[in-house]
Amino acid sequence: MTDLTAICALGATEPRRETFGALTLAERPDTALLSVALRRGAAQPAPLGLALPGPGAWAVGEGLAAFWTGPGQWMVEVPGKADTDVVATFLPNLPGCSLTEQTDGWTLFEFSAKSGATVGRLLERLVNLDTASLAPGRATRTAVEHMGVFVIRRAEAELAVWGTRSAAESLWHALSTTARRMETSGWAQQ
Amino acid sequence: MTRLSGGLIDRDRTIAFTFDGRAYRGHPGDTLASALLANGVRLVGRSFKYHRPRGIFAAGSEEPNALVELRDGARREPNTRATMAELFDGLTATSQNHVGPLNFDLLAVNDLLSPFFAAGFYYKTFMWPRAFWEKLYEPAIRRAAGLGRLAEAADPDAYDKGFLHCDLLVIGAGAAGLAAALTAGRAGARVVLADEDFRLGGRLLAESDLLDDAPAVDWVAAAEAELRAMPNVRVLARTTVFGVFDHGVYGAVERVADHLPDPGQGVRQTLWRITARRAVLAAGATERHIPFANNDRPGVMLAGAMRAYANRWAAAPGTGGPVTVFTNGDDGHRTALDLAARGVPVAAVIDTRADAVAQGDYRLIAGGMVSDSKGRLGLTSVEVTANGRREWINCAALGVSGGWNPNVHLASHHRGRPVWDAGSNAFLPGAGGPVGLVPAGACVGQGSTAQALADGARKAAETLADLGIAAGQPDLPKAEDRSTAAAAFWHVPGRKRAWVDHQNDVTVKDIALSHQENMRSVEHLKRWTTLGMATDQGKTSNVTALAVMAELTGKGIAETGTTIYRPPYTGVSLGVLGGGDSGAHFRPRRLTPTHHWAAAQSAVFVEVGQWMRAQYFPQPGETHWRQSVDREALAVRAGVGLCDVTTLGKIDVQGADAGEFLNRIYANMIATLKVGMTRYGLMLREDGTAYDDGTCARLAEDHFIVTTTTANAGPVFRNMEFARQCLWPELDVQLISTTDAWAQIAVAGPKSRALLDRIVDGFDLSNAAFPFMACASLTVCGGLRARLFRISFSGELAYEIAVPARYGHALMARLMEAGADLGVTPYGTETLAVLRIEKGHAAGAELNGQTTATMLGLGRMVSARKDSIGAVMSRRAGLAEDRRRLVGLVPVDPAQKVVAGAHLFTEGAAQDTANDHGWVTSACFSPHLGHSIGLGFLEDGDQRLGEVIVAANPVEGQSVRLRVASAHFVDPEGGRQRD
Amino acid sequence: MLIPHPLLGLRDAQEFTYLGDAALIDRPDPAAGEDAFCDYVFLRDNPAGVHRELWYHEQGDRSWLVVTRNTLTHEILGAELARDVALARREGRA
Repeated sequence: MTDLTAICALGATEPRRETFGALTLAERPDTALLSVALRRGAAQPAPLGLALPGPGAWAVGEGLAAFWTGPGQWMVEVPGKADTDVVATFLPNLPGCSLTEQTDGWTLFEFSAKSGATVGRLLERLVNLDTASLAPGRATRTAVEHMGVFVIRRAEAELAVWGTRSAAESLWHALSTTARRMETSGWAQQ
Repeated sequence: MTRLSGGLIDRDRTIAFTFDGRAYRGHPGDTLASALLANGVRLVGRSFKYHRPRGIFAAGSEEPNALVELRDGARREPNTRATMAELFDGLTATSQNHVGPLNFDLLAVNDLLSPFFAAGFYYKTFMWPRAFWEKLYEPAIRRAAGLGRLAEAADPDAYDKGFLHCDLLVIGAGAAGLAAALTAGRAGARVVLADEDFRLGGRLLAESDLLDDAPAVDWVAAAEAELRAMPNVRVLARTTVFGVFDHGVYGAVERVADHLPDPGQGVRQTLWRITARRAVLAAGATERHIPFANNDRPGVMLAGAMRAYANRWAAAPGTGGPVTVFTNGDDGHRTALDLAARGVPVAAVIDTRADAVAQGDYRLIAGGMVSDSKGRLGLTSVEVTANGRREWINCAALGVSGGWNPNVHLASHHRGRPVWDAGSNAFLPGAGGPVGLVPAGACVGQGSTAQALADGARKAAETLADLGIAAGQPDLPKAEDRSTAAAAFWHVPGRKRAWVDHQNDVTVKDIALSHQENMRSVEHLKRWTTLGMATDQGKTSNVTALAVMAELTGKGIAETGTTIYRPPYTGVSLGVLGGGDSGAHFRPRRLTPTHHWAAAQSAVFVEVGQWMRAQYFPQPGETHWRQSVDREALAVRAGVGLCDVTTLGKIDVQGADAGEFLNRIYANMIATLKVGMTRYGLMLREDGTAYDDGTCARLAEDHFIVTTTTANAGPVFRNMEFARQCLWPELDVQLISTTDAWAQIAVAGPKSRALLDRIVDGFDLSNAAFPFMACASLTVCGGLRARLFRISFSGELAYEIAVPARYGHALMARLMEAGADLGVTPYGTETLAVLRIEKGHAAGAELNGQTTATMLGLGRMVSARKDSIGAVMSRRAGLAEDRRRLVGLVPVDPAQKVVAGAHLFTEGAAQDTANDHGWVTSACFSPHLGHSIGLGFLEDGDQRLGEVIVAANPVEGQSVRLRVASAHFVDPEGGRQRD
Repeated sequence: MLIPHPLLGLRDAQEFTYLGDAALIDRPDPAAGEDAFCDYVFLRDNPAGVHRELWYHEQGDRSWLVVTRNTLTHEILGAELARDVALARREGRA
């Protein structure tokens, strides 16, 4: 184990967390991220039994999840494994694929609310996507305040946003400002 | 009494407000306009050009006259329509456009000078002398014309934006809009219903007619309650849909807090971008007036507005005095009936139709017209001409009804041309408007309540059927079904001024003058007279003006044609268009992994695109940036320096054909690169010009990491994806950006190896084991995975080390700690630039999109043995034969400076384009050499080493003698970086 | 504007980067010489009407699309993955 101390994307050693009414926004530095791209002629693998999802979708397996990022391309999320060499770990499980460690390329912020309606209201202020297309189990790359992000609806009342690590502070500002305004307007009560 | 009984105001609560410093009271439900009328205030402002006294003219967003400065201090907003401003406690409003008190405006002298201000007066009067325009005319005109004062302070309010997606957007919540929304909502369609008013109902709120034998507001309330309870319906009051854009995208502004004294922590307004599969335009209609002499006095207003004030706001027009109505159809009679029913004395109804019949107990003058008026600051009497007789009738207010203009505005946003309907004497939405936008109700001539309800419901059902959504027809209430038609009576003939466009002070005479001056097209009329070009976009004047013009030309209105409308429907504040953030968060910032470390060292940062990079690290006692940069640069060359270079684009390239792919991307050969080695790579544009450079490191046979310049990280990736997907889809190659994933630190200087040796985990850094241009994956600091590249931008022995970004901060701190005895020094982008200029490495200033590989001295790198992007075109004679070469430049007098941007000339040659031999691209003070140096492109530069030339900057009168040198000021043999 | 992404459905045009004429897919064979490349690089049609053009889903799945659009009305008549178009042309040529 290295004796260097890692910091979170927002600059502190501990992840940031903020609550707005019934809405919570949290930095999640512990999830590893791995990009997977199918090579020519390779069969689509199923890492640890997880069927990789189709366009616009996100799927959860045992100890990992994956979302589609482009034709023949996915991101695999591995909770709790941010400090590991995910490429080395998953190489045997993803034959015929090009793997790239993306853990620190992106930073994960997660919203949790008490109801799907709150997340719906949040989404309509963040992304120009039909909220109906971001039902639970859906994921897509889009832009929030001109920043590229992956948005994943993990459940009715749970929304994950992967943003580029270098823009973490600007993204947090955008997300927390929206959440605060929802709280002010009474829309974060559920 | 000017406050009547009834109305949709909450009399249990009182609101205090001020207008021009005087205190008044109103009630919730009032607008500023209704409250002023209820307080007996008729004079509310001065006109734009002639400074004529003006009063409230309309009851909605079409208001041309009653523009006020609302609020004060930083929130002062000029040109706010009093008819749209909801009353709130403590509201302050100020009349605008006058010098001195409102009732004694010194600039009212303009009215006496009106012959000089006729149509086109700007064009005629202020032409000569030309020099007077900026200094004299424009400031004077601006002062006089005004239209309110801007707040001088920064906008204190917050704005938001949002995105809505729906099956059906219903624009307008009057009878047609509510019927459409109910039809669609009940069918389960996803509906957005938007109305600019704070209360849903549209004209239903303004009329006294019953729906199913009950007040119309009861039906409106029930409809609203039902809609708000539907999860598939979104109701947006106080929301103006201001524009239609391609493919069913609509812009709307919700005035979230404009009705509150202060938005507090909330937002003032929200900009909604609504993506709707279909839309029903239920925008209603705007009443038109009939120009007559002196028709602009306070007290003259639209008859329908009068009715609205009486019915909805319980406000009597004309301070409760007698009222007259001037009409060309039945509609004016409704006003007379409603006013009489509410106890307002009606002096007379003047109907232009000879066969008009009184509909109640009031005096009717059929076949008459109002031909003049009196009352300096407010109407006192009108002159009626009928059957050859003239008569003055005393009255405090006059309602004018000239028929209704369908609000076709949004339907003409995609150049949809309204068409003249001779039957109803109105323009209706024409073909060619926005796809998917279906007009319904009064805006398509279906103006009675019964028609509007039925048309709204029918259009919604038809539109949804298009989308495959079946909708039943709602049970619609029984409603009035009177004709809204008006006679084609457009203006009262006369020699005095009769206003058509109140806001821009355009009269019938101006239109006649414009016609006399040969303005034949309506577009010319509009621009010559400025008719319809004020903040109200001529909502109450355009059609009337066309009719007057048609009369003058002897053509029909249909032939005369119409101008069309552009967004926005009503004014949109720049603040809300600016979006959610201003100031520091106006755009995203990207921070390097060592940003917080650098900030703790008091680094000065510089914006590089979105990135914030450390520019230099001032130390105590350093008062000028040059002191810091000189120290940093010397420290690198003498010992070891550290620089965060994470911002360079990093692209992970994998696949069986990765080498072949990169061979085609880069001008030079990449496929032959051995695993564990790095090579400089130069990219060209397809036109043969140099584009970007960087390094390619081969980690495995099928795995490369390439770097790009910071500025081109995005575009290069995009171009590589284009090549991968569109040009060579048969190649097996996968691309992904890893720029943010790895913190990359340059460790440069003769002691860099010694420093790195202290942190690597048993990795052999000797020259034999890890030579110049080697690369490897390894671990550092006790097991942290890392990548090491032996590359140099400074010409010194140097490395770049990459670790997962979360460790960048700690690695930088560790290197500083471990290298303390080696004199380790952090350096920023300024020193980076000094070092690379000293070494003669090209950067952005040399790769500026106008230069070629040959000019850069890299011509031989463009491989002729393979195809690559730009290779064929780089061999074009015009590029291949360019004689300019990158050279170093040194001032002959070491005290002088090399200035970037200066052009190069042979000594003694005339300094003109014919003799231009090139230019200086980069320059700096070299602390290593102790004088200024530069890089530049010089004609035959490679043959002119030692020659003295002149760098001229004629713009600034500078001329410096320079000696041509090798671009490699430091270690031209390259021994330092290789050993 | 909305772009009908073949895999992701309607997406706002703001997510895309525009390039231009889809003829850019047809890069000449390097042996075709300078004239062919000059045509390819510099000469493109700019029709008032139906146009096939390249859009890149930069804030999306990073696919290049060939979008058929009427430049007069902005009506979009279809969109395909540019990679599929390129592969099909290759088969056509072979």
